[in-house]
Amino acid sequence: MSLLKPFSKTPEINGANILLVENEEQFQQCLAETIVLQNMNVNVNVRLARSLPLPMENEKSRPRIDLVVFIINLTSEASFKSAETSLKYLDPGYFLGKVCFVVTKARSAVPPERLIAVRKLAASLHCPLLYAEDQTTEGVTTTAHRLLAILRVTAGLIPMATSLYLSTLTCYTLPSDTDQLNFD
Amino acid sequence: MRNCVLVFSETQKKILTKTNSFKMDPMDSLENLASGLETVAVNRFQTPTVGSGPNESPAIEILRIKEQMSNQCFEMAVKLQTGESSRFCNTSDAEKDLADYTNALEEAKITHFNQSLALHRMQVWHAISEKLKQRDPEAEAMRGLTIRCLDLCSQIKTNQQKSFELQDEITVLQKQRLDLKRLTHEKMKEMEELKKREHPESEKYRNVLQKGQSNLEKYQRIVTITQNVLRGIIIASKVNWRNEPKLRDIAMTLDDILISDE
Repeated sequence: MSLLKPFSKTPEINGANILLVENEEQFQQCLAETIVLQNMNVNVNVRLARSLPLPMENEKSRPRIDLVVFIINLTSEASFKSAETSLKYLDPGYFLGKVCFVVTKARSAVPPERLIAVRKLAASLHCPLLYAEDQTTEGVTTTAHRLLAILRVTAGLIPMATSLYLSTLTCYTLPSDTDQLNFD
Repeated sequence: MRNCVLVFSETQKKILTKTNSFKMDPMDSLENLASGLETVAVNRFQTPTVGSGPNESPAIEILRIKEQMSNQCFEMAVKLQTGESSRFCNTSDAEKDLADYTNALEEAKITHFNQSLALHRMQVWHAISEKLKQRDPEAEAMRGLTIRCLDLCSQIKTNQQKSFELQDEITVLQKQRLDLKRLTHEKMKEMEELKKREHPESEKYRNVLQKGQSNLEKYQRIVTITQNVLRGIIIASKVNWRNEPKLRDIAMTLDDILISDE
């Protein structure tokens, strides 16, 4: 099994690499373009994939990945399943802050079980969960900004913060059921 | 730590050169200085992470890359450390420990930040005092500013003194007013008590009055009846009372409209 390991390669100088994994390959394209257009003083490298494991041919040329983003489309069950299976090919070292979940199309009428399942997954893995608006450019730009903020920490650009420290602050916590009841 | 001092002196130079433009009001330059120091303090006296894009000076770029690499090395060292000491424990224990460790980490960060703030404050004051001893136009400007600050402070002191005195006077007046209020309250209470106390004495007076009034009524009734009787007699006897002077006087008194207590 070819696991993607966080520390198996040496890091690049002045670089940050982000990997977008999406089953449908729709959102990742425009998100990648927006990320690259942002004004950063490091070289941001965006790699796109459909699912893990990544093909062996690129193993040598692939740089060290700082942040792995799973884009889950709520309207399709296959998206969620593919993300779940891809998680197995990720070394556990990544889950200490170097994995992020992005959910799209949360506004459309979806069965709530899928969203709850995604939330439980994010909570159990202690990863941040972002909701993205993929129809408007502002939504895409906002998501790009947020991902870049997390990427800055995981790539080591923020001096006193590491990805593990950030994960303790940003990890998704499930709201307990009693909170829903007390809303009235 | 050398890098921190290097950055600081670089920014210090930038901040200090701003006081050269004396066209502005000295307060404006003070404000610029304060905001500059504030941004430097907020960035924790380290290189800005967002960066100014392509027009970054190479020194800052090298510093940034150096910090990035040290951060990455730190992460890898942490990973190695966890790899060495691998013990088996369940997740609930680990999560309890996690909460404690994050608290300890936060506290360490806070103390570190406060201490570095204090250190930089000392550095700034030292730099300012060194500057003031020199003889260039910047120092002149700073001396002028400090003199102005001292004047303003003494003005503040006198104004505060005046306000304290006025406050004391106000307090004295308020005390006096309270005393007067208290006295009026007491007087009002005494008056009410006196009004009530009249009661036993006025009881006798009322009784006497009552008796007198009943007597008066009795006698008035007697008089009315007598008058009516006399009237009847005179009318029934068909005597001409107008000719006799004595009878006329009596009859005139009879015709008075009596005020009866009915």
